[in-house]
Amino acid sequence: MNDVFIDVDYAQIYKHGQKIGGDVFLLSRQDASAQIVCTLSDGLGSGVKANVLASLTARMAHKLSFSPMDLTHSAKIIMNTLPVCKERKISYATFTIADLRRSNEDEVLVNLVEYDNPSALMFQGSIPIQWERDKIDLRRDGAFKQEVLGHSQFKLSIGSRLLIFSDGVTQAGMGKSLPLGWRLEGVRSFAQKVIERDPDISSHDLAREVVSRAHTLDRLTAKDDITCMVVYVRKPRRTLVVTGPPFKQEQDSLLVDKIQSFEGKRIVSGGTTAQIVSRIMNRQLKVDMSCWSPQVPPCSKMEGLELVTEGMLTLSKVATALEQKRPAYTLPNDAVKKFIQIMQESDQVHFIVGTKINEAHQDPSIPVEIGIRRTLIGRLQRALEDNYLKETSLEYI
Amino acid sequence: MEKKEKVSVKICVGTACFVQGGADLLLYQDFLDPVVLAGCDIQGVSCIGGCKDDAMQVRPPYVEIAGQVFGEMTQEKLCKLLQEAIHA
Repeated sequence: MNDVFIDVDYAQIYKHGQKIGGDVFLLSRQDASAQIVCTLSDGLGSGVKANVLASLTARMAHKLSFSPMDLTHSAKIIMNTLPVCKERKISYATFTIADLRRSNEDEVLVNLVEYDNPSALMFQGSIPIQWERDKIDLRRDGAFKQEVLGHSQFKLSIGSRLLIFSDGVTQAGMGKSLPLGWRLEGVRSFAQKVIERDPDISSHDLAREVVSRAHTLDRLTAKDDITCMVVYVRKPRRTLVVTGPPFKQEQDSLLVDKIQSFEGKRIVSGGTTAQIVSRIMNRQLKVDMSCWSPQVPPCSKMEGLELVTEGMLTLSKVATALEQKRPAYTLPNDAVKKFIQIMQESDQVHFIVGTKINEAHQDPSIPVEIGIRRTLIGRLQRALEDNYLKETSLEYI
Repeated sequence: MEKKEKVSVKICVGTACFVQGGADLLLYQDFLDPVVLAGCDIQGVSCIGGCKDDAMQVRPPYVEIAGQVFGEMTQEKLCKLLQEAIHA
């Protein structure tokens, strides 16, 4: 498990009256989040035309940044490919590409390429950081203007943030509440205040705050697409899920040691397992009769554990809900809902799976959905990784 | 008059019991007589262990009433047993 987590999210408001955006954000992760590439592109004009330009640009920039190709060459390819606007007789889209790679230490190596978007902002905690960019003049044949790329390489340590946004943010309020718009300085001091107020604010919330503020400055009728994306490097939020008794009874205390030494939230899933933990930790296990549904047995409470649930039925329902991406608020108030809420609030989930066979489940009259524990955990892991981009790990005991 | 002690009732909510009728027993507040309810202290328990006991002659779902384990429990049977238990 990694000791550093890269939280990337964005928020967007379309130009007033538009149903489609001319700003496009793309994100992809490779090799269990060792490399993350995020791209923000703003196409010329607005609506469908801008969206086509921005989508093309973002997608190409994205693909090319995973290839070993030279940066200048990639940029030229993109600009040569873009279609020409019928009215303005030019082809144009801005972009910012952030290539984030986890280095061995607690740091993230950033490769940032900026073309005509407002400059990205960096914060270490709530302190704004300025840095130098290399200017690359493309000197492309047939260019209608000078094309200069800004390129920089730097490291983000834990607690730092990178804000990337379109000109809809910096020009917000122009001619309305502010003569020249919000401008870079305005965005910087606003973001600084938000981070000071809430030092642990997630990327999602910070992006949301910036975009809402820009929208307010535009008096709630955005003059351009407003998009902001945030990269936040932080310590991962961890959750431990323990299910099933150990294969050998002598390992019961080892299991409890593992639970106690874990840093983060702890879930025990399984009646017998919960009883083992309760016995060894000498803490009372109490069934919460208010929290169950006809498909899911009640959860229980034990001091030191975030959640205690029944095993196979609950896990099977959790896996199904995660596979179907069902939002927690649409679920009945039972163990499955609580389980999913905890999963969504975590970055890394570690499973400890006991391999003892439960004789009671070998009865042919029991429904088939009580599958094999290992298969079920496999489904959970896949759903968490594929649908929710969580990191998972597994050990058997 | 000395206050009568409540009858301790434990309903198993383990997987095997829950899927074989235990879920119906958790609706005890709907089907039990209020007098019976008042005379019992009803709790859930994560596993009574009957399903793993080879000596156990009866099948799940299990309910423990005043220390004695009963199997193949239904709503009707639970009503009857608790009625007897509070008058015992």
